[in-house]
Amino acid sequence: MSSISIRDVRKSYGNTAQAAVERLSIEIPQSDFLCLLGPSGCGKTTTLRMIAGLEHPTAGQIHLGDRTIVSVEDGVYVPAEKRGLGLVFQNYALWPHMTVEQNVEFGLKLRKVPKAEREAIIGEVLEKLAIARYRKRLPSQLSGGQQQRVALARMLALKPDVILLDEPLSNLDAKLRLDMRAELKRIHQELGSTIVFVTHDQWEAMTLATTIAVMSEGELQQLGTPDDIYERPANRFVAEFVGNLPINIIEVGKERSGALVDWMRDTLARLSLPQPATSVGIRPESVRLSRTSAEGSRKARIVEVVPTGGSWIVELSVEGERFFAIAGELPDAAQGESVFFHVEPRHLHIFDVEGRRIAA
Amino acid sequence: MRNFGKALYNYRVHNQDPTTMVGVGLVVLFAYLIAAPIVLLLSDAFFVQFADQARSGQSMGEATLYYFNRVFLSVIATDVFWLPLLHTATIAFGAIVVALVIGIPMAWLISRTDLPGKQWFATVLIIPYMLPSWTFALAWLTLFKNRTTGGQPSWMEALGFAPPDWLAYGAVPITIILALHYTPFVILLFGNALRQFDSTLEDSARIIGAGNGVIARKIILPLMLPSLVSACTLIFAKCLGDFGVAYILGVPVGFDVLATSLFRAISTSQTGMGAIIALTIVVLGTISIMLDMYLLKEARRFAVIGSKGSMNRTTSLRGYRMPAAGLAMLVFLVSAVIPLLALALTTVMKSPGVFTLDNFTLAYWIGSDVGTTALKQGILLTPEFWQATWNTLWIVGSAALGAGFLGLLVGYAVTRTSSTMISTFLRQVTFLPYLVPGIAFAAAYLSMFAVQRGPVPALYGTPIILVLAILADQMPFASRSGISAMMQLGRDPEEAARIAGAGWLRRLGSVVVPIQKGALVTGILLPFISGIKGLSLVVVLAVPGTDVLTTYALRLVDYGYSQAANAVVLMICIIAFGGTLIVQKLTKSKLSDGLGGK
Repeated sequence: MSSISIRDVRKSYGNTAQAAVERLSIEIPQSDFLCLLGPSGCGKTTTLRMIAGLEHPTAGQIHLGDRTIVSVEDGVYVPAEKRGLGLVFQNYALWPHMTVEQNVEFGLKLRKVPKAEREAIIGEVLEKLAIARYRKRLPSQLSGGQQQRVALARMLALKPDVILLDEPLSNLDAKLRLDMRAELKRIHQELGSTIVFVTHDQWEAMTLATTIAVMSEGELQQLGTPDDIYERPANRFVAEFVGNLPINIIEVGKERSGALVDWMRDTLARLSLPQPATSVGIRPESVRLSRTSAEGSRKARIVEVVPTGGSWIVELSVEGERFFAIAGELPDAAQGESVFFHVEPRHLHIFDVEGRRIAA
Repeated sequence: MRNFGKALYNYRVHNQDPTTMVGVGLVVLFAYLIAAPIVLLLSDAFFVQFADQARSGQSMGEATLYYFNRVFLSVIATDVFWLPLLHTATIAFGAIVVALVIGIPMAWLISRTDLPGKQWFATVLIIPYMLPSWTFALAWLTLFKNRTTGGQPSWMEALGFAPPDWLAYGAVPITIILALHYTPFVILLFGNALRQFDSTLEDSARIIGAGNGVIARKIILPLMLPSLVSACTLIFAKCLGDFGVAYILGVPVGFDVLATSLFRAISTSQTGMGAIIALTIVVLGTISIMLDMYLLKEARRFAVIGSKGSMNRTTSLRGYRMPAAGLAMLVFLVSAVIPLLALALTTVMKSPGVFTLDNFTLAYWIGSDVGTTALKQGILLTPEFWQATWNTLWIVGSAALGAGFLGLLVGYAVTRTSSTMISTFLRQVTFLPYLVPGIAFAAAYLSMFAVQRGPVPALYGTPIILVLAILADQMPFASRSGISAMMQLGRDPEEAARIAGAGWLRRLGSVVVPIQKGALVTGILLPFISGIKGLSLVVVLAVPGTDVLTTYALRLVDYGYSQAANAVVLMICIIAFGGTLIVQKLTKSKLSDGLGGK
């Protein structure tokens, strides 16, 4: 079993000043299920590929357990084929000229596993992933979901300590996503491998990972549990990136004014903040609506109520300024009518001038 | 220490697999096999050769304009250059005009009308291009030659009609033959353009009130023009380098084109002059190819946006269906059936053109007492024939095998190397032979390999020079197919193999090559077919000991032993035609897809 340690890794292409990955340090403990989350171009895939050995860092070190696989400064570089990691590609990258069985067998042959043992392992992983009856088929004769299972089987047959997954659920439909999510969780629990996966999809990240590393523009923004990331975003980027509906952001800097700003300033005055706030984020789902006024609540007009199946997105207008809420029940006020909304202080995400979180 | 660590790291990263080394190796190989011979040949034009020291009044190796003077301005300039240039131009333009006149209606008939047997015609009208052009020259001789040259009488003569010289030899027959041979270019390129033409464009013009004439001039013609001009430039480039037809029909009566003049200069060891003529052909060829590329780029501007599939409306020929089919059949008969039939028949007839039963014989194929000076027995019993067949198979075969594998390797290096310099150089150098006509390329090989250079001994007279020359000559096609195959493959399968623990050789052998099997087969078979048909390259480089079928046939022609020559030519046609069909079956591709290639 292996931990992964990424230290001060930088990756730039050619002579461009903008690095794809900048001063990245992440310690991934053994048996962790870590997600690299971020928008496209944030450097997450590059990071995964650097761990795999398909890209090489421009500076820094990567360790697997107590084994150094990359150290630019010490001239250490272990090529991908010698790292012994498992990687499942986003498009599965099955070898089109080999049957399911041969795809799984290839790596075992390279490791000079005897024939009988190979047969046993192949049978076992194909059985486990419920694709045993396709063993003689070519990848082109399989559906997308089956292909992914073959890709997983091919990787699992080698029993790697470290498993890397590139967007593992993104090419699947809703039902298969749930199945595969359960499958991956099970694999993690059974094998205890260290798993790192990459996604831009926060649902994927939230449901799978034990730890999430949010990245943006090549830099690590926050490393924490899914709850940390959601409940206590370290900065404005994380707050705005994570969440199903875009978070409401209220700018409360000195030069700002308006109805919402005034309301928020009043609310903040009641908290004793260690430093002045510049902006405040409020998730639509933490907004409470009521017909009656209460302490700290604000009056607003309902612009539109959009059903999303099970909950409702309520667009509010506070003297012309837009504000969104999610209601678990159909609000008993109609479109155009007034309601009061209220937010618990612990649901306020308060950020300073640099966009960093201020702990209340 | 830190810098050393970094340097070591970079070294390890860049040499984790030998892609860059392979790239460098290929650069060196093709610099040696392609660039160096061409540069050497062209440099002959600027420096005094050994034999010309006295005449030029300079000593060997000095820079000189003597050859330019000699080719362009001297008393012999008319004969060695200007007249051949004029002839080449006349023939090329004549061939283009005739090919357009025949090709345009045929293309229209098979792509936009209800011509009976459309599919069948679409295949058989392309046959002339699958066969070597000089086959038709031999057929022409069989039918039309007169007493100006020796050997057996032609059919015309046997029928009591002596063809005049202008019909038997020179510009007229060469033009007709090249036109018939390259008409498929027009049919394929123009036909494809017509097929892709969206009828809704026509309809939308008609709806706003345009008449037929306006539609033809303002809509159809501008959209079709690139394909026509492209066909013309291709035919021009091909005619420029075509050697066999002019050699068979022109040279016996002193009618030279650039390619034969170049051949004469080379075979009389006038390398300086040869270099200038070669240079001229290369420059003209380059201009026409560049023109074609430019036009293709222009044509892309016309890519019709949002046209989903083409609404291909067929025009009903009504009462003209049968006459039109008759016309297409006539073209097929004249351009393929009659020449091949004539060739085939001569091989089983004692006297040409005499259709009596006792005149037919299989002696020229399998007889043992054939009363000619050149051969005592039928061609199938002649050891030289089998020697030539064997030579063809292994020489062209190994060249094609080499070209196919190297092409894939070039594709690999071009798509995988991190060095843009290597990939650009490889792309360009492997394309270079495309611009150099076979005769000139062969001349380049002579300059390069006729003498010992460094550790490489003189290769002239050995089969190795043929293998290398054919291989190099086929690289434009082989590397293009290799590059496009590797582009389509992408990196994923190979990266997956790395992750599974496969080293470079293993990845190449177990993943890349097996996946590219189809591309590799095509990349070997097509050069093989083209190599078997090719005449100009081998005619310069082969000696009697290394005869291949084409040069053997030509030698038999030179002896005046036409039955045997025609028999050999038929064998070549069968191999070329069969091979082309196999490739089309295997790749499910059409010949037209490879038209831009060689």
